[in-house]
Amino acid sequence: MSVPPIEFPILSTILLCPVIALLAVLLTPGRYTTAIKLVSLVASAATLVLSIWLCLAFNAKDPSFQYIERLDWVRSYGIQYANAVDGLNVAMILLTAIVIFCGILVSWGVTYRTKDFFANMLFLVAGVFGVFMTTNLFFFFLFYEVAVIPMYLLIVIWGSTNKQYAAMKLTLYLLLGSALMFAGFLYIYSLPDARTFDLLAIKQQVTFSPMVQNILYISLFVGFGVLAACFPFHVWSPDGHVAAPTAASMLHAGVLMKLGAFGILRIGVYLFPDGARFWAPTIAVLALCNIVYGAMVATQQRDLKYIIGYSSVSHMGIVLLGIATMTVSGFNGALFQMFSHGIMTALFFACVGFIYDGCHTRMLDELGGLSKTAPRISAFFIIAGLCGLGLPGMGSFVAELLVTVAAIGTYPVIGITSLLALLVTAYYVLSAVQKVFYGPENHHHKDFKDINGFQFIPRAVLVGCLIFFGVFPQIFLDWVNASTRALLGA
Amino acid sequence: MTSLMTELIYLTGILGTLCLAIGRGERPRRWALGLGLLTAVAAAIASACSSGSVTELFGGTYRVDPLSQGYKAVIASALAVCLWLTERGPSESRRVEVYLFYLCSALGLTLMTGSTGFVSLYVAMELSSYSLYLLAASREDRRATEGALRYLLTGAIASGVFLWGVSILCGLTGGATFAALTQAAPALTSDPLFIGALALTSFAFLFKLSAFPVHFWAPDAYQSAPLAATTLIATASKAGAVAVISRFLIASGVPVAFAGWTGLLAFVSMTLGNTAALHQADVKRLLAYSSIAQAGYILTGLLAGTADGYSSAFFYATVYALMNCGAFLVVSAVAADAKNDNPTVRHFDGLADRQPFLALVLLLSLLSLAGIPPLAGFTGKWVLFSAAMDQGHWFLVLWGVLNSVVSLFYYLTLVKHSYLEKAPAGSQPLRLTPVTRLLALAIFAGLVFLGVYPTPLIEYARSAVSAIAG
Repeated sequence: MSVPPIEFPILSTILLCPVIALLAVLLTPGRYTTAIKLVSLVASAATLVLSIWLCLAFNAKDPSFQYIERLDWVRSYGIQYANAVDGLNVAMILLTAIVIFCGILVSWGVTYRTKDFFANMLFLVAGVFGVFMTTNLFFFFLFYEVAVIPMYLLIVIWGSTNKQYAAMKLTLYLLLGSALMFAGFLYIYSLPDARTFDLLAIKQQVTFSPMVQNILYISLFVGFGVLAACFPFHVWSPDGHVAAPTAASMLHAGVLMKLGAFGILRIGVYLFPDGARFWAPTIAVLALCNIVYGAMVATQQRDLKYIIGYSSVSHMGIVLLGIATMTVSGFNGALFQMFSHGIMTALFFACVGFIYDGCHTRMLDELGGLSKTAPRISAFFIIAGLCGLGLPGMGSFVAELLVTVAAIGTYPVIGITSLLALLVTAYYVLSAVQKVFYGPENHHHKDFKDINGFQFIPRAVLVGCLIFFGVFPQIFLDWVNASTRALLGA
Repeated sequence: MTSLMTELIYLTGILGTLCLAIGRGERPRRWALGLGLLTAVAAAIASACSSGSVTELFGGTYRVDPLSQGYKAVIASALAVCLWLTERGPSESRRVEVYLFYLCSALGLTLMTGSTGFVSLYVAMELSSYSLYLLAASREDRRATEGALRYLLTGAIASGVFLWGVSILCGLTGGATFAALTQAAPALTSDPLFIGALALTSFAFLFKLSAFPVHFWAPDAYQSAPLAATTLIATASKAGAVAVISRFLIASGVPVAFAGWTGLLAFVSMTLGNTAALHQADVKRLLAYSSIAQAGYILTGLLAGTADGYSSAFFYATVYALMNCGAFLVVSAVAADAKNDNPTVRHFDGLADRQPFLALVLLLSLLSLAGIPPLAGFTGKWVLFSAAMDQGHWFLVLWGVLNSVVSLFYYLTLVKHSYLEKAPAGSQPLRLTPVTRLLALAIFAGLVFLGVYPTPLIEYARSAVSAIAG
């Protein structure tokens, strides 16, 4: 399928959609809740359409940056507003658009401070789009923090379960991570060859000594690793997931955590390939800790959201392991895992949120037999679960296969251990499914209404994506392949 | 004459207020307030309009140049906000003279930004300081004059130490102007006496900036001064201090040993301010400790000793005045509503329900103080720290950023109270006068605009600094 190249600045248009909607929402009086929701929905639908168009018009064979947009911002500090798309971020932009679209639909029922809620969501999503698109370190940092702060408000105002603690913990962890990034970026700028924050220019102009590469890579890795929930910096993540309201959890686990992994690839590996190679074995070990530890802890949880939270930690470990292999297939697998895990967790949280709203509990022991009263939501959850345990035909299967094969090639012991951890994943997913949806019916939840037509849409969209990319993984791999090759210089 | 327009406007305003001060009661007070506001606005406009010229006056002891005019505009705008705040503060003095002191201190600060000789600088500093001491003690309820006294005593000591340092500097350089200092400095950079004299001289500036080791007046003075005076101390006075330090450092250069000393002070200021702020319940005290921490950030940028450092310090001082004006505007609205000049965090409970717009301005001001994008404070910190990083102060930069994260904790605590806690039963929506609303809107717009599009101001600051430093 060939779509002609896009003639207008598509990336800025995608970014502007939530920004304009945000302004519109802020200017709308709070009592017109329907108008606010509609504006948000239209904006997110527009970003979805535009990003699908972008994916189609994107030339996957060309590994270099495309649709470059540049605008001098503060010339004397080398700050440019610059966007570009390549194989690394094209799918991430699509992922963000899908998740926000579904997230807005899922939050249709928000009644408490509706205006503030949607304003925060739009603000957050503008930040996420910005991080994925930009090629300037200043704007990268700016958008990165823009994506973090609304999360605090979303959790602290609309959240549940120990929300104040979780929100503060999340914010402080993520900002401590970004402090390392901040110092790293300023250091790069201060080098006499650089004097710019433009990623491409830095790559061309500056040669980093091995020592500097090693130090900068690890500090950026730790900075990004906090957001990617890398062991041992993951502790904010399960608490944050649990406390956040449904749509925020979806965005958070679905997209926000991917920012961390994306940053490692986009900036860390891109600028400091030797540093990345130097640290790869260490990161592989940490990633294995993620996979095994996350899965083990998940088996012990009684709260559905905590199970998903820890499974996210485990699944992000696979992403990190893929990055640590420093091979093309490892990177491809990592990116694919980012994408399919994003969709899958969004689906998970969309289902759990619905169950919680209906049953007012998420505890495994207090649920049971839901598949009889609510077969549709059960089916959605089970599909997400099957994807989570890596069933063939789902996106995660291909991703995990790629990463594991690459890992076994590079680090045989770690690769095989991570394979065994998948069995643990299967155990906790299936036992959760069994306890919640099968087994004796809990008569407390007899009145639990299954999902209706309107709420059906977002979950169906997510399932559709999971299956589509599971059945046609080649489409995704074609997008990323040329760029990951270029990234590794292979 | 035109180059001294700003100063003349202040003088006229002061004379007018002096005449009004003969009268007693509400009517002359309102007149004085009106005159003060008019003076402040006129001064701001006059400084902005003459921001292109460079003139040296009075035998090289006073300069009018783009940098000083920029600072003057900031000081005058901050003064306008403070004067407006006197109108509703629950313990503002209802006397007419108060406005005289406001204008005098602003004139002193204005003179400070342009002084290039130690004598004129001393006079300017004392003019602003003494007016501020009086303002700090001008509470209607006569409570807590202890804070004002502490402010006065610390200030007096700092002035004394300053004079001591200046006397050594004059002996070493053979003149009492900055020009003499510039000429003699290169030969003296390794002279311990010279470094010591610089350090002693900088005491008075550090006092104005509320940086360690002359910071301890800040919490008490902030707490006991009426809110409008606190605002002036927190905004205009800080901008004046940054202006003086910039000029002083441009003149003396930043010898390595002096940079080390300043770096240590910056380090302690940040750490101490942020640690102490974590435990404050009184919002004015909290903001005082935050200002001590912020002084540390500003020093970090200044000790870079480069044009980038001075221009980013100007940018940050402007932004700092703006965001503190925002924070204090909200604090004063809450204080006026609670009829308590020292609101604690509990007074902010449910602010988002009672007055959503003010809660938003508070949120933005505090996030900006913490350096969160896309707000002005973030861009300010970015340029400030990038100047310091350029000179290899990576440790201070890293420490500063980590400190910003810590500071977010107490800023967010206040946000949490305004957004999360329920308003006490029976509380009414908080009413805003149209002018206050307009001011809040202007601050809101400024915080976002300077955060997203700082280019014009940054470029102005760079050209202003290069007009001095060459």
